[in-house]
Amino acid sequence: MMKPLVEIKNLSIRFPEEKGIFEAVKGVSFEIHRGEILGVVGESGSGKSMSALALMGLLPKDADIFSGEILFNGRDLLKMEEDEWRKLRGSEMGMVFQEPMTSLNPVLPIGKQVGESLRLHTKLSENQIREKVEEAMCEVGLTDVKRLCRAYPHELSGGMRQRVMLAQAMVSSPSLLIADEPTTALDCVVQAQILSLLRDIHEKKGTSILFISHDLNVVRALCNRVLVVYKGEIVEEGMTQEVLCHPRHEYTRSLVARIPAYDGRGQGEREMIRLDNVNVFYDVKNGFFRKNGSKHVIHDMNLTARDGEIVGIVGESGCGKSTLCKTILGLHTNYTGNVWIREDARPQMVFQDPFGSLNPARTVGWILEEPLRLRGIRDRSERKKRVSDMLEKVGLDASFASRRPRELSGGQRQRISIGAALLMESRLLIADEPVSALDVTIQSQILELLLRIHEERKMTLLFISHDLNVVRRFCSRVMVIYKGQIVEEGLSGEVYESPAHPYTRLLLGAASMETEMEASYAEGKTTSEEKEAALCAGTGSFGCAFYDRCPAACSICRQEEIPVTALGETHWVRCSVFAEKAKGKIN
Amino acid sequence: MKYFIKKLITLIITLLVISFLSFAAFSVIPGDAALSRLGKDATKEQLLALREEMGLTDPLPERYVRWLKGAVQGDFGESYRYEGITVQSLLEEPLFVTVLLSGIALLMILVFSIPLGIASARFSGKWLDVVTNQISQIIMAVPPFFLGMILTYVFGLTLHLFQPGKFISPRESFWKSVEYLIFPAVAIALPKIAMVVKFLRNSVLAQLSQDYVRTAFSKGNTSSGVLYGHVLKNAMIPVVTFLAMVIAEILAGSIVVEQVFSVPGIGRLLISSILNRDYPVVQAIVLYVTAVVVIINFVVDILYQLLDPRVRSV
Repeated sequence: MMKPLVEIKNLSIRFPEEKGIFEAVKGVSFEIHRGEILGVVGESGSGKSMSALALMGLLPKDADIFSGEILFNGRDLLKMEEDEWRKLRGSEMGMVFQEPMTSLNPVLPIGKQVGESLRLHTKLSENQIREKVEEAMCEVGLTDVKRLCRAYPHELSGGMRQRVMLAQAMVSSPSLLIADEPTTALDCVVQAQILSLLRDIHEKKGTSILFISHDLNVVRALCNRVLVVYKGEIVEEGMTQEVLCHPRHEYTRSLVARIPAYDGRGQGEREMIRLDNVNVFYDVKNGFFRKNGSKHVIHDMNLTARDGEIVGIVGESGCGKSTLCKTILGLHTNYTGNVWIREDARPQMVFQDPFGSLNPARTVGWILEEPLRLRGIRDRSERKKRVSDMLEKVGLDASFASRRPRELSGGQRQRISIGAALLMESRLLIADEPVSALDVTIQSQILELLLRIHEERKMTLLFISHDLNVVRRFCSRVMVIYKGQIVEEGLSGEVYESPAHPYTRLLLGAASMETEMEASYAEGKTTSEEKEAALCAGTGSFGCAFYDRCPAACSICRQEEIPVTALGETHWVRCSVFAEKAKGKIN
Repeated sequence: MKYFIKKLITLIITLLVISFLSFAAFSVIPGDAALSRLGKDATKEQLLALREEMGLTDPLPERYVRWLKGAVQGDFGESYRYEGITVQSLLEEPLFVTVLLSGIALLMILVFSIPLGIASARFSGKWLDVVTNQISQIIMAVPPFFLGMILTYVFGLTLHLFQPGKFISPRESFWKSVEYLIFPAVAIALPKIAMVVKFLRNSVLAQLSQDYVRTAFSKGNTSSGVLYGHVLKNAMIPVVTFLAMVIAEILAGSIVVEQVFSVPGIGRLLISSILNRDYPVVQAIVLYVTAVVVIINFVVDILYQLLDPRVRSV
């Protein structure tokens, strides 16, 4: 048998901390075989990225490799001269990072960045480098490569940037590719494309891939073998199917455990919120001398939610979900149509980013007291008491009141946000991707908390997410939004069991990789480039917004008004094809 | 190109507004050309007649346009104080001296602060950084005129490296006057050097913790490759804006420092003209100085656009 490409033996990494030493990686040993895709699963802070960074020699400065060996092609990297190790980076091993938006240098053109490792490690001429760069960029599914080489990162979409990242890692044909959460920051459609791309690269070039992720579905779809890391130790290792179907360690089991489910109880009849024909616009500044235009973000939206209902709103980023929230809350006033909210609703919001949405200069207690002050509760001790009660209710304890947001983890911060909304006695809670920035295990805790509070208070919850799995389990009714328009609406069961709109089907196809993995890959492969191009080009002036991405598109889709077709009492879709079918039935 | 034209139009509008303000301000102040020429003893009739003759009774916009036409060609009329001498000839040499002084100061700032700032960031926490930081802190707190006095005392009166008060006109010997201007320039530049070093250092450090830096290392760059190939261009973006403000301050600083070192520049002329109510001269100086500041800001905007592609597409 061939020697493994990478052997990590008894690796320990430590960080000096105020109170002693924190051991991020505790005596970890594993190997990466030639031509395999090895998955590493674990939550953030588990040390799963640390061993990869150690392999690349990119550990933070204060990290200390306390013991162990890292053998690459049989040579110990840790005993190498720094310069020798550097020469392996970018030539023998390449890396793709999580954040495609910030991982590229904003002031350098794409072509220069992709070709950099060739310039560093080879003696190729500029012309040869340009050829190789263009080739590598084509290989990752980018089109119009010559123009792209001159473009800058901010001109590209997230998916395109991640392709560029892949191209710059693969341009020098490394034998090892490390991918650290490469799809976490992407939409589920783009996510599927990037995964199929990784698989392509693996098959064509035989590159070994170390794939780090917190998302089990993604790992299951891609990796042959998987390691489960928990608190700096490998708790389970084996073939992917086996580990995920028959998890032995408790932590793996909790990872595999499903998202809490909502059974639809506690729904009232009173309407809590109602939107009639709402159109929302954004002012677009064109500069000093030209007329300002406006961008039509939300088209003719009708939406109702009843007392105690949990409504899911699904769509990819940029579809107008967040604008919708702002409009409901009255934070965005440039709209036409009617937005009606019950007087006692006191709408509150839980934001996606738990790090940016709490004032870092204030204590948690102050933040939580704010809604009480706003409600006019003047008695300080009364406020303090309510805050400490609330802290316990959201699963923390009274001692948190004196801490500041930066001392808390993402999940704890999200609990604070929820607590602040509840202290406002809100009857209408809008949660904008409340768990997207959190780890899987924390996600399910926060969702459980939301469900428990919903059970208790029976408030209305608008749950906005791009994660279909979460929405399915959590919401009684679902709306699918595409480019500011509801394209399908129905009870969760209806939409998930019999999705009608091609976009809904595309979303479901991309998300349910567990079951339809192979099918969705084939689909992603054939159309990914067109989709990407269409995404950049924007839609035509009229007709169906989904026209340029729709597999079933035909001439009738270009008509001005797309009719709505009822598929049941609660289920309807906005699609010309369905309208034609319905007509056919009548005739 | 579109960006350039947009900025150019903004520049022209700003210059027009400034010229109008500096003209209007002086027409509001009591006392005018006729009064200053005839003196306090003149009769009302004499004054009125001269005003009529000089066109001072025309409406403000008309006078402004006339003045602006002259100003564009460098003609600001005659000095009130020295009869028969044009403002332009009075300004010529001081203007050159001040530009020379500011130029030397700016050169010093660029030459010293950029390498020091980079080195300070690179060795952050090491002795070089700590020492630079301490010295910067002290220098920043010292006002230029006081620094000027110390320099005069130490290098002029004690070490005799230059003779205070013995400025040689650039007309006589360019290099001799440059030699004399070195110490005044140091007095202006030192506090600014300290500021720019600190600013650049922090800017570089902030960039070093960005994600793209890790990407650059992952491709096998050396640390200096990352610094010069990736970080510096990003780090310079805020520094360029900061430098524009510094240049405006250099001009302001030179007015004070010229007094301390008895350099016959714009600053000294400005102060003596204000004392003598020689308004046309003051007006011309105000216009020149503000125009320079505005034009420098324009140049910085253009530079900014070259550095940061994100601005280009806005």
